[in-house]
Amino acid sequence: MTFDFPILTLLILLPLCGSLLTLACRRSDLAARRVALFFALAELAVCAWICLASLPAAPAGAPAGFFLFEDAAWIERFGIRYTLGMDGVSLIMVFLTAFISAIAAVVSWKGITERIPLYFALLLALEAGIQGVFLSLDLFLFYLFWEAMLIPMFFLIGIWGHGRRIYSAVKFFLYTFFGSLLMLVAIISLYLMHGAQSGSYTFALGQLIHTSVPYGIGLWLYAAFLFAFAIKFPLFPLHTWLPDAHTDAPTAGSVILASLLLKTGAYALIRFGYPLFPEAARAFTPLLYVSAVIGISYGAWVAFAQEDMKRLVAYSSVSHMGFVALGIAAWSPVALSGALLQMVNHGVTTGALFALVGMLDERTHSRELATYGGVWGKAPVLAFFFLLFCMASAGVPGLNNFVGEFLVLVGTFRVSPAAAAGAFLGIVLTLVYTVRLVQEILFGKEKKPLALADLTLREGGILAVLAVVDVYLGVHPGPLLELMKTPIALLTGGK
Amino acid sequence: MTLADLFSIMPIVITAGAALLVLLTGPLLQAGSSCAIAVAASLAAGLWAASASPANAPVLPGLAFTPLAHFLIPIFCLAAALTLLLSHGYNQRRAIKGEEYPATVLFALFAMCVLPCAGNLLILFLALESIAFAFYILVSIDLNRAESGEAGLKYLLMGAVAAAFIAFGFSLIFAGSGTLALSAALAAPGNRAIVSAGWGLVVIGLAFKLSLVPAHLWTPDVYQGAPAPVAAFLSTISKVAAAAALLMLLAFAPPLSEMRAPLYLLSLFSMVIGNLAALLQKNIKRMLAYSSIAHMGYLTLALLTGSKEGYAAVLLYGAIYTAMNLAAFGAIAALSAAEERQLIADYSGVGFSAPFRGGVLALSMLALAGVPPTAGFIGKFFIFYAAIRGGQTALAVVGMVSAAASAYFYLKVVVHLYMHRPVASSPQNAHPAETAALCCASAAIVVIGVYPAPLMRLVDVVLR
Repeated sequence: MTFDFPILTLLILLPLCGSLLTLACRRSDLAARRVALFFALAELAVCAWICLASLPAAPAGAPAGFFLFEDAAWIERFGIRYTLGMDGVSLIMVFLTAFISAIAAVVSWKGITERIPLYFALLLALEAGIQGVFLSLDLFLFYLFWEAMLIPMFFLIGIWGHGRRIYSAVKFFLYTFFGSLLMLVAIISLYLMHGAQSGSYTFALGQLIHTSVPYGIGLWLYAAFLFAFAIKFPLFPLHTWLPDAHTDAPTAGSVILASLLLKTGAYALIRFGYPLFPEAARAFTPLLYVSAVIGISYGAWVAFAQEDMKRLVAYSSVSHMGFVALGIAAWSPVALSGALLQMVNHGVTTGALFALVGMLDERTHSRELATYGGVWGKAPVLAFFFLLFCMASAGVPGLNNFVGEFLVLVGTFRVSPAAAAGAFLGIVLTLVYTVRLVQEILFGKEKKPLALADLTLREGGILAVLAVVDVYLGVHPGPLLELMKTPIALLTGGK
Repeated sequence: MTLADLFSIMPIVITAGAALLVLLTGPLLQAGSSCAIAVAASLAAGLWAASASPANAPVLPGLAFTPLAHFLIPIFCLAAALTLLLSHGYNQRRAIKGEEYPATVLFALFAMCVLPCAGNLLILFLALESIAFAFYILVSIDLNRAESGEAGLKYLLMGAVAAAFIAFGFSLIFAGSGTLALSAALAAPGNRAIVSAGWGLVVIGLAFKLSLVPAHLWTPDVYQGAPAPVAAFLSTISKVAAAAALLMLLAFAPPLSEMRAPLYLLSLFSMVIGNLAALLQKNIKRMLAYSSIAHMGYLTLALLTGSKEGYAAVLLYGAIYTAMNLAAFGAIAALSAAEERQLIADYSGVGFSAPFRGGVLALSMLALAGVPPTAGFIGKFFIFYAAIRGGQTALAVVGMVSAAASAYFYLKVVVHLYMHRPVASSPQNAHPAETAALCCASAAIVVIGVYPAPLMRLVDVVLR
């Protein structure tokens, strides 16, 4: 069976069309919400279909491991092609994106009260940009999506955010924009080097990985790539934009930032950074270890000191993404699958925590820990979910984060016992701030009289779906690991 | 001269004829009709130039419809038409009356059409100075406002000095090489020193026209004082015309090795100082003035590689930059009432009270910052690609870093448009002509950003 329908293009165009249609619903806010949700769900349905359909193993011209592939000339002058491809890793990330975007649309159903069509249009445009990043196999195309997704996020934080929203939005944009421009220089240099060597000027990843880069120059080029990715990641000490952006973004914005945008950095490092510059990447591995281990402990340490719940969860993201960095640094099949799993887990769990904080904030208009206390007695269902996701975040066995962290630690220990030991210390610190969070909010005495209603059906539905995913991935991560097996084997060279 | 020859320089004839026609019939017609004639004439000239086939053989002494003219004249004509469309409503609100406005725009367009056709230094000089002459009038055309006259005077004084430099430079080149023809302006080895001195003077003069640092000081004041549509016209195709003149001079004869050091410094200082100074501006037109200084620095970066790729990047960037700045100044013009909104803060909340014009302004800012998927990104990519390929990696990195810093002041406008509470009153409705012009400019920004291949093909034809 040949499969010609451009389904990957559909994955990008569907949210984009939805975005334009939503923008057209200027009269009715409800219609805008519904259109947006419809397109988000349609995207999810397409992803589900890809998972279920038995696709032919390798389409013509596709690199090994890719089961969906599209390629068309775009800017011939530079050999730039419109190349999209999907392997197991992309599929997982694309699915996560569709899932979290649909969740984000439902999360902001009531919370957003102003300029609703524009809000949902930006949400869908953001989704399209992220899907593009996860699907591109041409460095130019990748760069285009990588930068383009900044714009909707910038507006989401700046228009609907809280507190110092403008400061945070601009900081987020400039940080990422600056890192990316240096990567552009590196991309162009690599392109010219490959062209001079082989005579064919191209941005195709599949061909650029065969460039023989002199070691010294490779270090510089890889540094530029790593810098751009590390900002998105964010790796210590380039994380300083993250707490501001997360704290000041609207709830759905924080969910998408944490669950998806951070993942683009990790994904790009796996997809582009390592394969393009294997030698330089090895040279930078110690740095990545150090940064990851410091990030894990430092993020947890600072999270413990936060008084603002959202900021606390934001710093916990720095800590969790440290594990992903650790797994990538180890670059063994086990550690890498752990890192990928941890990306999904962090996406689901932290997304849920941000949604919960948003729900509490909507009820009491406060995110201060000091305001809360005794929530368990007043809103038991909310409290139950809160406890569940906190436990998942702390890495309690049976829930999803445990599996990812475990695999990362096992994989890393074989390569670098010292790094694994350092990271283990971080887990202990994670428990400390999680226990504090649970203790101060759920239990203890009520500090101020709060009118705290329990979850509505919509909110309960969101959290229930996320909780099911959490538990499912915690007890049965097999299908996910199976999906990423082939790509990881190809990436690590069967090491 | 045969009929075919006449046909090939028809754009020049059309624009010159239309300028005179508008001037003669102006008193009898309404302002709208004069403007409509001018728009129709520019579009006709542009269409003619786009459909005619270029040839390098001279039609008249020193005048040929070259491939460069084939590429640039349609852009000039389209930009002039958009400027005219933008100025109609603006001039009504500001009470700028008279047919001399469209006539002068057409006269400037006429000179611009001559410029890329020029085959010798004298014609080139005449074209450059005719453009400047038309702009002295246009900048100071608003008789009711002192700042317009002030800007015009400043431009005139500085422009006269630049003209002197260029004229002196050309005469030195003539003295050294014995010919005015561009294609033969290579010096005999013995007179090389004189010719090089001539080149130095010409570059200084053209640096003024391009407003490269340190010859940039007039730019912010002139942009600020000039009516917004005039600033749009001035900042786009007068710059592109000057860049084209430099390109013609460099492409034909010159000892580029000697020009490299001054061009290097001009580019470096323009990128860095332009972007840094723009960071501090509160007035939107002054900010755009410094931004244009930085953008001309990028252009020079591509020019100084002296490669075909560099020249292609210059031409492509010229076209893209025209679209971006026309959109930016056009939106400012369309959002103005009897007075313009001077400060960036005056645009607070405008993104919601005037969604279309605010959106165009935001789009042009993002494009100027070089964010994909706008045309600005493609232009920057091409420039920096050409620079790295031409061996100017260090300067390219400096350019990239300064471009990253520039995102801040472009974003500041977007932030005010969408994220601040409105301070000034909501803008009035736009004139349909303004809407049409803004549509064209923003469509160009988006289309070139997403699918630049056709434009690149045109550029390559020019340089073949």
